[in-house]
Amino acid sequence: MATTGDEFTLDTAAELAAEEGSAGKEIQGRSPWALAWRRLRRNYVALGSLAVFILVVVACLCAPLYVSHVSHIPPNEVRLGDSVVKNGQKVPVISNGHTKIVNGVPVIQTGGIPIGAQYGATGGAYFLGADELGRDVVTRLLYGGKNSLFIGVTSAAITTIVAVILALLAGYFGGATDWVISRFFDLIWAFPVILLGIALGTALSVNGFHHFGINLSGSSLWITIGVVAFVFIPYIGRPLRGQILALRQREFVEAATAQGAGPIRIMFTEVLPNIASTVLVLFTLIIAACILTEVGLSFLGAGVQAPNPSWGTMIEEGQNQLATAPQISLYAGLAIAVTVLAINIFGDGLRDALDPRAKVRIEH
Amino acid sequence: MKRVRSVAIATVVAAGLALVVSACGGGSSSGGSSTTSSSSTGTLSTATYPTLNVVWGTTDYMDPGLSYRLESWQLFQDTYLGLVYKAHVSCLTGNCTKIMPGLATTIGTVTNGAKTYKFTLRKGLKYSNGEPIKASDFTHTIIRDFNMQSPGIGFFSNIVGIGACEANPTKCKSISGIVTDDKAGTITINLNTPESDFEYVLSIPFTSVVPGSTPNKDTENPPPAANGPYYIASYNPSKSFVLKRNPNWTKDEIPGIPNGNPDVIHGTMTDDLARAAQLTASGQDEYDEDVLPTDQLPHYKSKYPSQIKFWTNPSTYYFFMNQRLKPFNNLKVRQAVNYAINRQQLVNLRGGLGIQTWNFLPPVYPQYKKITPNPYPYNLTKAKQLIQQSGMAGTAVKVYTIGDVSVDLSTAEYLQGQLNKIGLKATLKPLAGANYFTIMGNQQTKAQIGFTDWFEDFPYPTDWFNTLLNGATIHPVHNNNYGNVSIPAQNKAMAQLAALPPSQALSPSTNAKWAAIDKAMSDDAATVPYLNGILTSFFSTKLDVACDVFDDNQDDIAQFCQK
Repeated sequence: MATTGDEFTLDTAAELAAEEGSAGKEIQGRSPWALAWRRLRRNYVALGSLAVFILVVVACLCAPLYVSHVSHIPPNEVRLGDSVVKNGQKVPVISNGHTKIVNGVPVIQTGGIPIGAQYGATGGAYFLGADELGRDVVTRLLYGGKNSLFIGVTSAAITTIVAVILALLAGYFGGATDWVISRFFDLIWAFPVILLGIALGTALSVNGFHHFGINLSGSSLWITIGVVAFVFIPYIGRPLRGQILALRQREFVEAATAQGAGPIRIMFTEVLPNIASTVLVLFTLIIAACILTEVGLSFLGAGVQAPNPSWGTMIEEGQNQLATAPQISLYAGLAIAVTVLAINIFGDGLRDALDPRAKVRIEH
Repeated sequence: MKRVRSVAIATVVAAGLALVVSACGGGSSSGGSSTTSSSSTGTLSTATYPTLNVVWGTTDYMDPGLSYRLESWQLFQDTYLGLVYKAHVSCLTGNCTKIMPGLATTIGTVTNGAKTYKFTLRKGLKYSNGEPIKASDFTHTIIRDFNMQSPGIGFFSNIVGIGACEANPTKCKSISGIVTDDKAGTITINLNTPESDFEYVLSIPFTSVVPGSTPNKDTENPPPAANGPYYIASYNPSKSFVLKRNPNWTKDEIPGIPNGNPDVIHGTMTDDLARAAQLTASGQDEYDEDVLPTDQLPHYKSKYPSQIKFWTNPSTYYFFMNQRLKPFNNLKVRQAVNYAINRQQLVNLRGGLGIQTWNFLPPVYPQYKKITPNPYPYNLTKAKQLIQQSGMAGTAVKVYTIGDVSVDLSTAEYLQGQLNKIGLKATLKPLAGANYFTIMGNQQTKAQIGFTDWFEDFPYPTDWFNTLLNGATIHPVHNNNYGNVSIPAQNKAMAQLAALPPSQALSPSTNAKWAAIDKAMSDDAATVPYLNGILTSFFSTKLDVACDVFDDNQDDIAQFCQK
């Protein structure tokens, strides 16, 4: 399917060659990666999404700068009793509430409502308001994003590496090795992602992980990373195993074997390059899934542990104050939506660029 | 021993002034065609109507032998009666902590140096299933509690011959200290030593008498046959319940127990505070048992000012500090933590629903004496100095809390921040609320400091000091004294006061001694008490709020009347 101008394109190599030939140009030899880049750079929606994602990442990485130059409020610092100066007047960060007993009956002065968005009126602090403990929402949003993105990307990388290795072993060796690894995939696949994540996250957050020479406390981000990475292994491993089973029968593998190449060499120099585009697309798409899972687990208390922020914990913290302080949950929700949407659109674009006929999806 | 998720409870008031005078008077007026009838304990509204719809917090059990939650106890006050009961009168107009004769004709004849209590059952009483109420049912009730390993069995440890049951609860068959005569309808309870709070113990649901035919296991669908004006016709855990009139209840059968206004009470159960409030605001339900959501409190307070009531309740929220572990085995550190906590800020966290305190005992008790001046005014500088003087600066501390209740988590985050500010190295350890107190009660957890709260079982200080801060009641598991507080002189004083005969339990000198213990605990910085809770009652426009009777612990839904 060829399109013209700046429209989205799914051109195949043959179609692009035909296009160049019809324009009277000499047909240039291009690598599959060059062809993919040519397709991708014409997909402005995908590139725009990539730009948005990079913007989010850069903003989150700049969180310490935001604290030191703008808000001056560390992400976990409780400021319940503080006040800020706005238009020359002191305004409490959290409104004061109290109860007096009059003739045996309590008379309530309601309080506990965090200050709303100041948009610079207080010199940078509380630009988008405060949470229930008087912490700066933007600061926690940036630090929370840093945690959520770090967990998402790292767990996606771990998942991908482990899944690729297992898929290579299962697909290449077949037989008993394939059976054991496939049943392992089936076992994890049998549990809903969130339920398995909650079970593991809750169990590990109580006492941490202290096995195989690894010592992680219950509040360590690596616990969440490990849990998220573990639950997604079959979602990458199974489709790759299928592809490798097919590649295993191809002539170039037989040729490599005939030339005396060992299994490791064949797996990593012959098979792996042939699934690289699929791996890349799956990795991109699984990042979004990992971020969403981390957010879900943190929201349910089985992910990032308080007081460390993450977008999931921020939504959870703000859910009881949606009516009076929607900023606590709202902006974290928006950040998640924008980030995941950007990754997914870019991932789809990447998939279309690398293999227009592929139907790679993360399904769970 | 009753702890409830702090946001899920929504009952209660207690302006328990004293157990000194059985004042009654005043009373609730009911509008429209309702009439009132006087009783010895107050004025009861008597205007019947077909159905009352209520929204309710979820609970643990609906069996009086097992439940330890206010949500159930509030229903039990109109369904399950014991030999005695706490008066169903408003604390604002009467003595709501007064012990009244229930199934028994009197509150007990006390003899043998206050070690023997004798009761005689009223004649002709029947359960909701038609079975007659027998004296031996009381013994069955207590044995059943042991067989089910009820959380209430600790209250019976002073009964003669209870040792075998305590050693092997599931094999408990008889208790020699309880002697009953079905023919004469008498029940005699022998104690090892006098017990100042024993009549209160007999008023809690664990002693509510159930038929001898009730199986010795959790019975919830339906719950055991009732002996009050209502019975629980159905219970769908965490979803709903239905209360109907007890067909075998005779009008004014037990003086002071209301016959009840609604014929049927339908309850919808939820812990979603916003939904519960909305159901009531929309008129779909007529009473919200849950506490109003703090963030929407200003909205509801301004929109429905005449339909919301606020109540003080006998509860204290506090931080425990484990005195067996560093750094809290050091008095200066415990004092520093007390100085580092700004109690007003913790009241703010609860939307203003709380009263600052530095006493351990709540102010609703006659034994309460406010410690003045405030021994620990907020002073971060002083707290830092004390930490430096203690030599414990930089010590690692884990702050335990309930992680799935937002306000409890926020409270602990505040504590963690303050501990870091004064020089300790604090990290947070949130745990699931479902097993938080079990984990805290296990010595192997080695919990250093954490959030906790306490709601009274009965209105006497033994329920506070002897249970929570007495060195003699420290256990390896199921320990309520999380801080392992043990001050020998105070342990001795508590034991002496607990062993007083009931006739001396409320004397001014006894009250003063309890107040002295409260002061001693503060001097020792045994805990960090920071607020007494305030709860809400929210009514729809269909109900006449003036009829509401908030007794020692809860609204009496049987007395709700319509406009």
